[in-house]
Amino acid sequence: MRGVLGTFREVDATVDAIKALKRQPSTNVTVYSPAPDHAIAEAIDAPTSVVRRFALIGGLCGMTFGYWIPIYISKWWPLVVGGKPVPSWVPYTIISFELMVLIGALSTVAGLFIVARLPDLRLTVGYDARFSDGEYGVWVECLPEQAKAVTETLRRTGAVEVRNEP
Amino acid sequence: MATSAPPYPVAGGDGALRPNVATAGRRLPAVRDYEQVTREITGVLRPTVAWFFGLGIAMAFMFAGATAWMYQIHEGLGVAGYHPPVMWAVYIVSFVFWVGIGHAGTLISAILYLFRAGFRTTIYRCAEVMTVFAVMTAGLFPVLHLGRPWKFFWLIPYPHWRWIWPQFKSPLVWDVFAILTYLTVSATFLYIGLLPDLAVLRDHERNPIRKKIFATLSLGWRNSDREWRHFARAYLFLAALATPLVLSVHSVVSFDFAMANTPGWHATIFPPYFVAGAIFSGMGMVFTILIPLRKWFGFKHYVTLNDLDAGAKLCLFTSMVVGCAYLTEFYIGWYSGNRIEHEFWWNRVFGQWWWAAWIMLICNVVLPLSLFSQKLRRNTTWLFILSLFINLGMWFERFVIIVPSLSHEFEPWQWAGYQATWVDIAILCGSFGWFFMWFLLFVKQLPILAISEVKEIVPPKRRPPPVMAPRPAVGAAGGGDD
Repeated sequence: MRGVLGTFREVDATVDAIKALKRQPSTNVTVYSPAPDHAIAEAIDAPTSVVRRFALIGGLCGMTFGYWIPIYISKWWPLVVGGKPVPSWVPYTIISFELMVLIGALSTVAGLFIVARLPDLRLTVGYDARFSDGEYGVWVECLPEQAKAVTETLRRTGAVEVRNEP
Repeated sequence: MATSAPPYPVAGGDGALRPNVATAGRRLPAVRDYEQVTREITGVLRPTVAWFFGLGIAMAFMFAGATAWMYQIHEGLGVAGYHPPVMWAVYIVSFVFWVGIGHAGTLISAILYLFRAGFRTTIYRCAEVMTVFAVMTAGLFPVLHLGRPWKFFWLIPYPHWRWIWPQFKSPLVWDVFAILTYLTVSATFLYIGLLPDLAVLRDHERNPIRKKIFATLSLGWRNSDREWRHFARAYLFLAALATPLVLSVHSVVSFDFAMANTPGWHATIFPPYFVAGAIFSGMGMVFTILIPLRKWFGFKHYVTLNDLDAGAKLCLFTSMVVGCAYLTEFYIGWYSGNRIEHEFWWNRVFGQWWWAAWIMLICNVVLPLSLFSQKLRRNTTWLFILSLFINLGMWFERFVIIVPSLSHEFEPWQWAGYQATWVDIAILCGSFGWFFMWFLLFVKQLPILAISEVKEIVPPKRRPPPVMAPRPAVGAAGGGDD
């Protein structure tokens, strides 16, 4: 993975760099910021996260499982009281609700890990420890022949440091 | 994790302030930049002599409780002062108390997040940590309360060669599901919120072993736009799932009592009554922990008096809800026209257990009324003292619900008393030792304020505005009125 890493001190300079780079062809831009920022997100204009689908599917599976397990168990050893149906949906709704929340939450986390590509313990190229402190990073994955133009764009928009990696 | 940045002029835009929804316009005037946030919050992670002293005391209490438990296992539950009909006492009281303490954390981190309450930003991590350790503590008590605690796993529906399953119509089984779900979701919520902060610790750590540990725990978090985008959405959904969970867990705990045909228990107001009480007691414990922490760690410019003021208002509101629930209970007892109910309520408030009921009423209803005074809401010494009274009052609330009901049921020949023994008291003190041991270990290893979320309410650095050339004077331009 080859590219150019630009370091910025100001958020507005970072936003300008993202907008300028998006106008250039065949560049893949990743932005590092110490905190989430709407201006950066709007400049990147990425689609809405699909994590919500994991939450929905996980919640539905949990709810179904939460009804299935007590119904299965009551029918395994039926205790008929007063001629009423053996499975009782009112108390089983409590189990179903708890499992909906539990499996929905765990699925949400699993979805986050899948779509955000975590865990990824290789901090090799395109990252600097300053990006978790107070500075912004713009990592542009590009072909060697594009590096010069990208470097120029990063410098013009206010990068305090630009380096080619690896 | 807030999904919105603080207001600042849009780069290249018209310079108008952007709406800041998530943090509700929260400001920290004494915090200048992101670097200061990182430096000050990670700067308190070095252990001190006072911290070791506190940890030693907490562990001594915990070992005292563990010793009492071993004695109880050897001698039987009788040493805990349990005699028919009072077979639930300090252990179940403490179980409900600790579950309640855990509620404020999720309320602050999830519900106030969804309501966009800005004051949560600097206090939610502390409350969330408190939740996880409080629920861990609560989970001990049902096991401690068993005659054969090594059989506790019988409550979990697992495939067994005898095909014996738990009874899903029993509130005790609902408890197992509710508490385990709450513990898992709270711990997950805490860990996911910690990921960006673990990355900060990884990037600033110089000890190679600790750096490797933080690198593994942070899962390789790099603060990239992709990670923040998915993180914000996942956090939102976790908050949305945790919100009804907060309401359900203490409702399920209240079913342990409300499902039983016992005077003082069999009431439909129990779920909202328990939930309000849980949030009230949790806010009390938040103050007990947060007020010393902000002083010792020098976080007064992060956890400001405005935050404590807002928390105190929430505390006052829940106190009034709880007070209303007490009055409603008394009213139901009086309006029922049932002699047993009359007798029971009279005994609870003016009879055998008057002292416990009045501790409850004074600590939970009368003293919190002082929070109507803004001066007292912003007085940290008073807030801390009041929080101790609230903790005491809420423990006694659960005592008043459990012990008087069991000791004064329908038939006079069943009536009895209850006296806590040294084993009960030692295990109760041990639970506080266990809780504070974990909490103290946390505060010196991991950030007690959410670094990345605090950064969200600090204005980011911007380019200096361009220096405008001075306009020429009107007269110099020759524009006179002659």
